[in-house]
Amino acid sequence: MEQPLTAKEQRQILRRLLSYMKNEKRTVTLAFFLLITATALELVGPYLVKVFIDDYLIPRHLAIRPLIVIATIYIGTIMIKAVVTYFQLVKFQEIALRVIQQLRIDVFTKMHALSMRYFDKTPGGSIVSRVTNDTEAIKEMFVEVLASFVQNGVFVCGIFVAMFFLDVKLAFYCLFLLPVIWWLIQTYRHYSSIFYKDMRERLSELNAKLNESLQGMAIIQVFRQEERLRKEFAKINDLHYRAGVKNMKLDGLLLRPAIDVVYVVAIMVVLSFFGLSALESPVKVGVLYAFVNYLERLFEPINQMMMRLSFYQQAIISGSRLFAFLDLTELAPKAEASSAAIAKGKIEFRNVSFSYDGKQDVLKNISFTVQPGETVALVGHTGSGKSSIVNLLMRFYEFDRGDILIDGISIRDYSNAELRKNIGLVLQDPFLFYGTIRDNIRMYKQLTDEQIVEAARLVQAHEMIEKLPKQYDHLVVERGAAFSSGQRQLIAFARTLACNPKILVLDEATAHIDTETEEAIQQALNNMRKGRTTIAIAHRLSTIQDANQILVLHRGEIVERGTHQQLLAQRGLYYSMYMLQNGQLDVENCV
Amino acid sequence: MKVFLDLFWFFRQEKKAYITGICLLMIVALLELVPPKVIGLMVDRIKNGNVTIGVLGTWLVVLLVVAILLYVLRYFWRVCIFGAAAKLSRQLRNELYTHFTKMPPSFYQRKRIGDLMAHATNDLQAIQQTAGTGVLTLVDSLSLGGFVLATMATTISWKLTLISLLPMPVMAFATSRYGTMVHQRFLKAQEAFSSLNDKVQESVSGIKVIKAFGYEKEDMESFRKKSAEVVKENIAVAKVDALFDPTISLVVGVSFFLAITFGAKMVLTGELTIGELVSFTTYLGLLIWPMLAFGWLFNIVERGRASYDRVRQLLEEQRVKESEQAIETTPSGDITYAVERFTYPNDAAFALQHIQFTLKRGETLGIVGKTGAGKTTLLKLFVREYSEYNGSIRFGEHEISDYALSALRAAIGYVPQDHFLFSATVKENIAFSMPNASDDEVMNAAKLAHIHDDIAQFADEYDTIVGERGVSLSGGQKQRISIARALLLDPEVLLLDDSLSAVDAKTEEQILTSLKEKRKGKTTIITSHRLSAIQHADLIIVLDNGKIIQTGTHETLMKEKGWYRDMYERQQLESLVEQGGGKWNSH
Repeated sequence: MEQPLTAKEQRQILRRLLSYMKNEKRTVTLAFFLLITATALELVGPYLVKVFIDDYLIPRHLAIRPLIVIATIYIGTIMIKAVVTYFQLVKFQEIALRVIQQLRIDVFTKMHALSMRYFDKTPGGSIVSRVTNDTEAIKEMFVEVLASFVQNGVFVCGIFVAMFFLDVKLAFYCLFLLPVIWWLIQTYRHYSSIFYKDMRERLSELNAKLNESLQGMAIIQVFRQEERLRKEFAKINDLHYRAGVKNMKLDGLLLRPAIDVVYVVAIMVVLSFFGLSALESPVKVGVLYAFVNYLERLFEPINQMMMRLSFYQQAIISGSRLFAFLDLTELAPKAEASSAAIAKGKIEFRNVSFSYDGKQDVLKNISFTVQPGETVALVGHTGSGKSSIVNLLMRFYEFDRGDILIDGISIRDYSNAELRKNIGLVLQDPFLFYGTIRDNIRMYKQLTDEQIVEAARLVQAHEMIEKLPKQYDHLVVERGAAFSSGQRQLIAFARTLACNPKILVLDEATAHIDTETEEAIQQALNNMRKGRTTIAIAHRLSTIQDANQILVLHRGEIVERGTHQQLLAQRGLYYSMYMLQNGQLDVENCV
Repeated sequence: MKVFLDLFWFFRQEKKAYITGICLLMIVALLELVPPKVIGLMVDRIKNGNVTIGVLGTWLVVLLVVAILLYVLRYFWRVCIFGAAAKLSRQLRNELYTHFTKMPPSFYQRKRIGDLMAHATNDLQAIQQTAGTGVLTLVDSLSLGGFVLATMATTISWKLTLISLLPMPVMAFATSRYGTMVHQRFLKAQEAFSSLNDKVQESVSGIKVIKAFGYEKEDMESFRKKSAEVVKENIAVAKVDALFDPTISLVVGVSFFLAITFGAKMVLTGELTIGELVSFTTYLGLLIWPMLAFGWLFNIVERGRASYDRVRQLLEEQRVKESEQAIETTPSGDITYAVERFTYPNDAAFALQHIQFTLKRGETLGIVGKTGAGKTTLLKLFVREYSEYNGSIRFGEHEISDYALSALRAAIGYVPQDHFLFSATVKENIAFSMPNASDDEVMNAAKLAHIHDDIAQFADEYDTIVGERGVSLSGGQKQRISIARALLLDPEVLLLDDSLSAVDAKTEEQILTSLKEKRKGKTTIITSHRLSAIQHADLIIVLDNGKIIQTGTHETLMKEKGWYRDMYERQQLESLVEQGGGKWNSH
């Protein structure tokens, strides 16, 4: 559950949101200029009618020429006003949309700056929700609330200016409206924030209950608890109904009906003012008309503003979540800007120890060397620390004890770009992006179509791709669900190989392959490893028998090391694992 | 408008609220006619200079009374109409929930939970809107619009009314055109947004790949493009959306212009007083809302109809049927399976074939086999989650299908494979099937499932909230709470569906031992991947592809060459590797 935000925090969030408008200064200025023009034009109409009534209609002074002028100005202003209003509305929308775009880009950029640690512990859905849903809620605020508050606020001010222009004394009396309206808004805001929050909580309770019941329906039914759950649900449903009715009553007490009372009272003030003055001397009916007309226009904007207060609350909550995300400090390991280049690809781990949580070491004093062009295989049971070695080598996680060197230089001293360019990682779950096969192999690299085909050939993927209806232009949808995992892996191989990395890291790349593609994958792996330093985490021991060195990990330590034959001869953990995978019968033949 | 007919049963049910509400609405519409009239009358008096304190006072009092009446009546029609509408959604939501509890598993296989949720939230929202705002807009726009028009035409001037209304059809036409345009562009904007959403989803899921290739910058660039697309499509919406206000104000402006020009002419000829002209323009202002409201009405009703149809379809889905002469006594006794064939609905392959065995009361049955061999299916038939099989399953004296569903299930404690816990306290979860169980009973069940010591470690012990929104438990802890939940019932038959998979070997053995002790004379069926869990069963069956390939006890099966012995040896080896191997000693 979230902590309620204090008034101060709410203001801070609002200020930070508003600061995003700084980049749009010119558009903002233009939009305000249009808004003020439109408001001024809107107010001209009743004034013209006033002039017409007082100067021409009542004295029955019907000079054609000035009347045509007045009529033309009237029609002219409403037309120009329509045009100006249109552009003003569009501009405000544009500002809101641009601000949101910038906010989205900021959040997305921030996402890429975060460390793997954050991604490993945070459900993907909540990250996605930050970038899209929360920004969408803030968009509602910019579009619905801010634009509407500014527009309606300016309009209300304009009306008061016009009223002062017409009759200072009466306008002064009308100022009493402001505190009354202010009080209404504050009261409504106060209660609605309480009631609205209650309503939202009931709703989320209701949804949670429903969702949970649907998920656990099998349990509910098998334990015969339908009746009890029905009653529980009915209770929550009823609370939700009551909260809804309460909200509705509050709206009824303080929104439109209340504003309308204020309107009638304002009319009463105007009528008594004119009525009482009329007792002493004749008054100008046109001014009365204009006042009535202005007041009529004053209240719709106020209604609009009040109805949108609830959006504001929602946006502030989304804003607080969003800024909390933007302020996260779990950044990816920083790399020195350096020109050190990887030439050969010799890898060395020196006494590396590592812990994810700062308590329990998942790697203990790991040391090994991989000579350029050689292959080292890491094997071990789940949780033995194999993947942690890859996480450190790839700089997904920062380490503090020991050192990892490539060509004799610590990986901390290479630029990230240099490391990424030279280390090709193939994951257990080959991830395919939306796009064609060609796009998936090319990614963002500068490659000719020939180079792509060549990479595919080298990893045995070409034949499989050629069989697809549209070959390299075949569209990958739903993360490649239409392909077998082996086929997906071949495409991922091609993608990695197309970069021509000096170092290859295979993170259980052969874990989920199917019998159809097994041979192709085996051949592909051999081709890929030629001339490259390779670190292979292997689930299937059969795929790494020819490795130059095999490291057997157990609980973060290297417990055995040697070639396949040496390890089998040791009759230790590796031997047991090998037996497990191949059945006891074959073992004798291998040794 | 058909939806109003569809909802007629509800209007009838809440007829008091609706009739009162509609009457109040009409009175409100009538009262709204008063202030413009008063303004007009006062204007004439002021102009003619015959205002007296008395007249002024009287009209002010009238206005005040009208204002207060309007306030009160507006409040009460809201309570009547909107209150009734909220009742409708409450009622339908309860009905849906009840319906959901009566749906068979096949229903949940077909439907996605997200969709069902959407029906119970968004669709009900739309229906509530139809029964509330929809009714309001219909009544209000018709009554207020009608009254205002009638007043303008009869008490002021029908000629002037006609003239000033001339531009109004333009507004109706234009706004409905804009409406369709906005809708089309809005769909595109939605598409752009969902494509942006997909992009983010993909980047988050593929973050490792992106990081490994160092493509952060390129990915951000591609995101920037997508988000620019969203802006572009939304501005396209805004460009049409922004047409509404200027068009309306332009049309209204022209209408006012016509009213004043022609009205002034009539004032000069003496057909109209100045005051009447002022009233007239104020009435004109009152007409804007009904005009707009009619446009909205179609929108609301359209959405409401679609939603109501969806909800009704859902409510018409077949519920679980129960025969009239079902036996109400809780069964007990031997269990005999003679299932020839069973296939899941909408599936061609046989899930079970030729399943035959008898389990004596009080015995333990172990079912083993590969994933997908049919172990869980066999249990699901017993709890009658599915009943469309060929053959018979007898429990005690009768077929299981002859018992009332609740009677049959009263005899069974089921621990399903996916240990689902509710977002409630540990105690409430264990006492799920017996909400009024005493603390001692709950604790005993927990002890029997060997979860008591774990619970004692939790901050709030038995009052700790678990489940999706509570503390996260390990898989083994969840499994053992599920077991305690079933054990609390002290059921005639206990079904453990691979329920010890996440528990370590030692705890597994302890649980099995205490079950054996406490459940003497009661039947237990255990399915498992790990053979150690069923090693001591009185009867073991090995399933493969829905068929029984081996039967016997551990001792007899170990003597046979086959799946059981192979698997047993393999698992011995696996546990050796897990413990770090040690030196391999050939057996």
